[in-house]
Amino acid sequence: MQPEFLENGPAVLIERRKRCLVIADPHFGVEADLRRHGLYFESGTKARLQRLLTLIEETSPDYLIALGDLKQMIPYVSYQEKTEMPVILQKIRELTEFRLAPGNHDTGLEHYLKKGELLSPTGAVIDDTGYFHGHTIPAPELLGHLILCGHHHPVVNIYDSVGCALRGTPGYLLSEIDTREWGETKEPTRVLLVPAFYELAGGMDVRLIPGNKVSPIAKAIKTETAEIFLKDGTYVGRFDELRPDPLEE
Amino acid sequence: MDAITELRESLNPRLREVLDKRGFDEFSEIQMRAVPKLIKGINAVLIAPTGTGKTESALLPVFHRMQSGVRPDGFNCLYITPLRSLNRDMMNRLNWWGEELGIKISVRHGDTPQSERRKQAVNPPDILITTPESLQAMFMGKVLRKHLAGVRYVIIDEIHELADGKRGCQLSVALERLAELAGEFQRIGISATVGNPDTVGKFLCGKRPFDIIQVPVAKTLDLSVKFAGESFADQTKLISKCIDKFNSTLVFTNTRSVAEAIGHSLLKRGDVDVHHGSLSREVRIDAEDNFRVGKTKAMICTSSMELGIDIGQIDHVVQFNSPREVARLMQRTGRAGHQIGATSHGIILATGFDDILESMVIVRKALANEPEEIRPHINPADVMANQIAALAVERGEISVEKIKEIFSRSYCFADSADLVNDVIARMEKHYLIRTEDGMVITKARARKYLSLNLSMIADEKKSMVFDVVSRKPVGTLDESFVISWISSGAVFVARGQVWRVLDIEEDRIMVEPAKNAQGELPSWEGEQIPVPLSVAMEVGQLRRLQNFAEYHADDKSIAFAEKILNEMVKNRTVTATDRLIVLEDADEGVVVNLCGGHKVNEALGRVLSILISARYGTSVGIETNAYRIMLRIPKFLGAGDVEEVLLSLEPEHVEGVLTLALKKTALYKWKLVQIAKKFGAIDADADYEKISINKLMELFDGTVIEREAFRELFFSNMDVDGAKYIVQRLKEHKMETKTSRISIIGAQGLFTGRDVVVPPGEDQAILESVKHRLDEQDVILACMNCKSWKSRTKTGKIPDVPVCPVCGAKLVAVLKPYEEPMYAALKKKTLTSEEKEAKDKMMRNANLVLSSGKKAAIALSGRGVGPEAAARIINTFANGDNFYREILKAERRFVQTHRYWG
Repeated sequence: MQPEFLENGPAVLIERRKRCLVIADPHFGVEADLRRHGLYFESGTKARLQRLLTLIEETSPDYLIALGDLKQMIPYVSYQEKTEMPVILQKIRELTEFRLAPGNHDTGLEHYLKKGELLSPTGAVIDDTGYFHGHTIPAPELLGHLILCGHHHPVVNIYDSVGCALRGTPGYLLSEIDTREWGETKEPTRVLLVPAFYELAGGMDVRLIPGNKVSPIAKAIKTETAEIFLKDGTYVGRFDELRPDPLEE
Repeated sequence: MDAITELRESLNPRLREVLDKRGFDEFSEIQMRAVPKLIKGINAVLIAPTGTGKTESALLPVFHRMQSGVRPDGFNCLYITPLRSLNRDMMNRLNWWGEELGIKISVRHGDTPQSERRKQAVNPPDILITTPESLQAMFMGKVLRKHLAGVRYVIIDEIHELADGKRGCQLSVALERLAELAGEFQRIGISATVGNPDTVGKFLCGKRPFDIIQVPVAKTLDLSVKFAGESFADQTKLISKCIDKFNSTLVFTNTRSVAEAIGHSLLKRGDVDVHHGSLSREVRIDAEDNFRVGKTKAMICTSSMELGIDIGQIDHVVQFNSPREVARLMQRTGRAGHQIGATSHGIILATGFDDILESMVIVRKALANEPEEIRPHINPADVMANQIAALAVERGEISVEKIKEIFSRSYCFADSADLVNDVIARMEKHYLIRTEDGMVITKARARKYLSLNLSMIADEKKSMVFDVVSRKPVGTLDESFVISWISSGAVFVARGQVWRVLDIEEDRIMVEPAKNAQGELPSWEGEQIPVPLSVAMEVGQLRRLQNFAEYHADDKSIAFAEKILNEMVKNRTVTATDRLIVLEDADEGVVVNLCGGHKVNEALGRVLSILISARYGTSVGIETNAYRIMLRIPKFLGAGDVEEVLLSLEPEHVEGVLTLALKKTALYKWKLVQIAKKFGAIDADADYEKISINKLMELFDGTVIEREAFRELFFSNMDVDGAKYIVQRLKEHKMETKTSRISIIGAQGLFTGRDVVVPPGEDQAILESVKHRLDEQDVILACMNCKSWKSRTKTGKIPDVPVCPVCGAKLVAVLKPYEEPMYAALKKKTLTSEEKEAKDKMMRNANLVLSSGKKAAIALSGRGVGPEAAARIINTFANGDNFYREILKAERRFVQTHRYWG
C-alpha cells in the first residue's frame, strides 16, 4: 500500500484494491456553535464542502471515508446542520461512496445517513486498513492493522535556534501503539493520526499527544517508534528527534 | 474704563454679584481674552497653562448666557472630561457657583449610582458633567435623548487627551449625533499646549468656524537638566534635597513602579505621598487633599497628575528621568507657579547617557515652544462601525444617506462615504445589523452589543503572572501589555520587582526574578511613552556636535556625557549620530544604533527582521528602544549582513514589507480582535478557547477589518513615514552606516524583549528544520577500500572530503546506523546475494561521496535516501535552499512509495 498525502485537505488517499480518500474532523456546522460562544461568522460550509468535492474529483476514489466529527453540535442537531447536512451528503454521494466512522460530535446524524454508510463507533476495517475516530478503544478486528485516526487534530510546531518558526501547521503522527490490554496480535498495531479537515481547528501539538488523556490511543503511543510528517508528506523527523523549544532547554 | 472693568460690565448683573461675593477682582490672561469672545457664542479652543483659570474662562460665559437667554428643557450644557476623577474635581469646584446662581449641576459617569441617574432622568440638571462613554450610554435612553435635545453648550476639557485617540473620534461623531437631536450648539474646547491648535479646533467643530485663544506656556517656563547620579540612593537623596527647597513640589516619574520606589525610599520624611493610577480612589483622594492643605510637601506621581485636577499651589516640578515628549514636559511643569504672571520652575533629574541628552533636547524644545502635534485618527473603521450600530439602535432604522451625512460633518470622517458602505456590508456579515432598500436596520443583538461596546478603550483580559521560583502568583497584567510587550526573555516590573519572562501559556505568564536589570522598564500598558523621531534625531545631532553649552544642563550632566563619548573614542568604537547608523556585533546578535525614536526603530527593526528572516530562513528576535534596535539572529549572521539588508532597502518598499512583517505578530492579532469586536464579529466576552484564533483571523483577510488593523498600527504603533525618511536619507548619503564591535553605548539601555519575527513562508521554516535534522543525523563513515575503518559521527561534522585514516583512501561511504551490521559482514570471503547487493549499494554510496563530497553526505543523510536518490538530487545541480528542497522531495517520494505501510 502507498498513501498519497493531499495537502489541500488535509487528506490522505489509501490505495490497495480500492481507492479510499480519508479525511478527519470536518466539523460542518461549526459556525452555529461559535455563535453560542460569542463569535459571529457566516457559515463556512460552502467553502469547506467545495474543498472536499474538489479533492474527490481530483482523486476519483471508490470511497470517501470521514474519520468522525462530520458535524459539530453535541448532543443535538442544530438548525444550521439540519439545513446543510442533507446537501453536504447528497453532493458527496453524487461523486463517490460515503463512509463515516462516527465521532463524539456525530450525535443525531444516523437519520441523515443511508444504510451501510455508518461504521461502528469502535472502527471498521476496509480493504485491510482500519478506520476509526479515535475517542474510544478500537474494536479487536482493527488490531494488527494500520489504523487511521481522527479526533486528535494534530499540528506541528517547528522551532529554530531563535524561537518558534512555524506554529500550528497540520501534520500527521505515525506510530506503533501498545495494545496489550486490548488483545494479542501477530503484527504490531500502528496508528496514523490524521489532521483535522476543519480549518479553524485549534489543534494539538504532536509533542503533547503521546501519553495525553484525550484518548486511549494517545496513551498507547510508543514514542520510540513515532514519526512526524507535514500535511504534504514532508518528513519532519522521528518523534524523539523533534527539536525542542529553545526556551524550554 | 480699564479692560477688567469693561469685562465685568459686559457680564450679567447677577453673575457680577456672585463674582464680587467670590472676591473675583482679577482675571487671568486667558480669562481676559476668552470671556469677551465666548459670551458672543462663538466656538473656540482655549489653550493656556494648567491652573490659570481655564475652566472659569469657559464657564463664566456659559453662566452669563444661561442667565441672559432662554433655557430650554433638559440639559443645557454638557461638560465632558476624559476622566471620572476630573469629573469629581470639577463638581467640587462648580458646586458653589451653581448654588449661588441657581444653576443645577450634576455628575454622570460609570460610578454614578442608579438613584442619582433616575433623578437626573426625572429632573434634568442644567449642567451635566460627564465622560464621552457616559454620553454614548445616554443616547440609548428615550428620556435622556429628550433631555439631550436641550443642549446649547458643550465644553470638552483636556480635549488634547481625547483628540489623539479613538475615543476622540467616537466623541466627534457623538457631537454630530447630538446636533441631530439639539440643533447647533456652542462648542468650547480646553486644551494643553499643542503644536497644531488649528487641528484641535477642526476636531472640535468640523467645518464650522472657530477661534483659537492661546496663552503660551513656554514664555513662563524655567527649566534645566541636572545629573542625578548613577545609584538610586544618590538619586533619591537629590530628590529629597529638591523637595526641601520649596513649599510644595510635584515629582513626576514615567512609570508607576518608579513612583512607588521613590515614594518608598522617601517614606521616612513623612511629608511625601505617592499618586498613580493603580492606587485606589480613596488613597488618591487622600493624597490630593493632604497636598492641597499643605499636610504634605511633595507628591510623587505619574501622568495621573498631568491633567488639571486641582491640588492647590505648586511651587516646583521635578521630573525624574527624561519626560520623553516635549508636550508632556510643558504640561507637567506648567502646573507649577499658578499665580497670574508667575514663572513655572521645573527641573529634570537625568540618570544616564541617553537620559541626559534626551532631557537636554526636550528642555530646549520646550523653551522654544515646540511641542509635538496632535494627530486625530482619520477614518477609523471600528469607531464608524460602533457609531453606525449606535445610530441603528437609537433610531431603529436609519438611511445610509443620513449616516453618511452625519459622519461627514465630523473632522475625523470628513471624507468617508465609501468607507460607510464597506463598514455596513461587513457589519451585516457578522449579523449586527441588516440592510433593506438603502436603510440600515437594527437587529436583536445590537442593543446588547452596544451596551458592551460603549467605550473605544479596548477591554482587557487579564493574564496571571506566575513566579516559577517561589511557585506563587505575582499579579496580573493587561492583555494589551502582554501582547505588545511580553515575550519570552522580556524583562518587566511588577510589584516593585523586576521579572524575566520564561514562558507564556494561554492565560499565564511564567516568570522568574531577574537580576542585574537596570534602567526604566515598562510595567503596565499606557506607560510606554515613545520618544518621537524629532527628539531622537536632535539627540543624534547633540552626540555629533557636542554643543552642550547651548543646552540648559548642569556641569555634572555635561561631564558625564563627555566621559561616555571620550570612552567611545578611546575604545576605538564609533558613536551613532543623526548622520550615522552604527551596526555592532554583540554576543546575542546585532545592535543597530539608530537615533530614530521608538516608533521609527520599531518600524525599521521589523522591516530588517522580516527581510533577514526571509533571506536566511531563520526567525529573528527583535527588541527596540529609542536609540537602538537589537536583532537576535543566529551566530552565522553579523553586522555586515544586517548592513547589507539595510542599504538594499527602498523607501517605497517599507510599507509593503511592514505589512508582511506585522501579519504574524501578536500585536496585529490583538488589534484585529479588538477591531472585530467593534464590528460585532466577536462578543466582548467571547470564549475562543476551542478554536484557533489565528485561523479565524484569516477570515478577515482583505476585509475592512484587516485594513483598519494596519491603518491603526501604521498610525499609532510605528512611524512608517519616519522610517521611510531614514531610508531615503541613506539613499541620498545624508546618512551613512558603519559596522563595529559592541560599544558601551550600543550595550547600554535595557531592552524590553518583544517579539520574534518568523520567516514569511512555511517553506523557510521547514527548510531550516530539515537542515538542522540532517546535520544532527547519526551516520557511520565506512571505508570501502580497506573495509577496516568505520566511525560514528553526525552529518554536520563530516569534513568536505572524508578520508580513511587507515588506508588514506577517499572511498568512504556515508551509512545509516542500521546499515552498520551489514558493513561488518562485508569482510567475509564469500557473500550471500543479499550481502553482495548491499556491498554494491555501499560502493555506489562511497563513489558518490568521492565525487561530490560533503554534498553527497548530506543528501545520503535524508530519510530513505539511498545512493540512487542521492545521485538524482546531486544531478539537479541545485544549490543552497534548492538543494535541500530536492532532499525533501526525495524524502516525500520515499515516504509515499517505498517505505513499508502495511
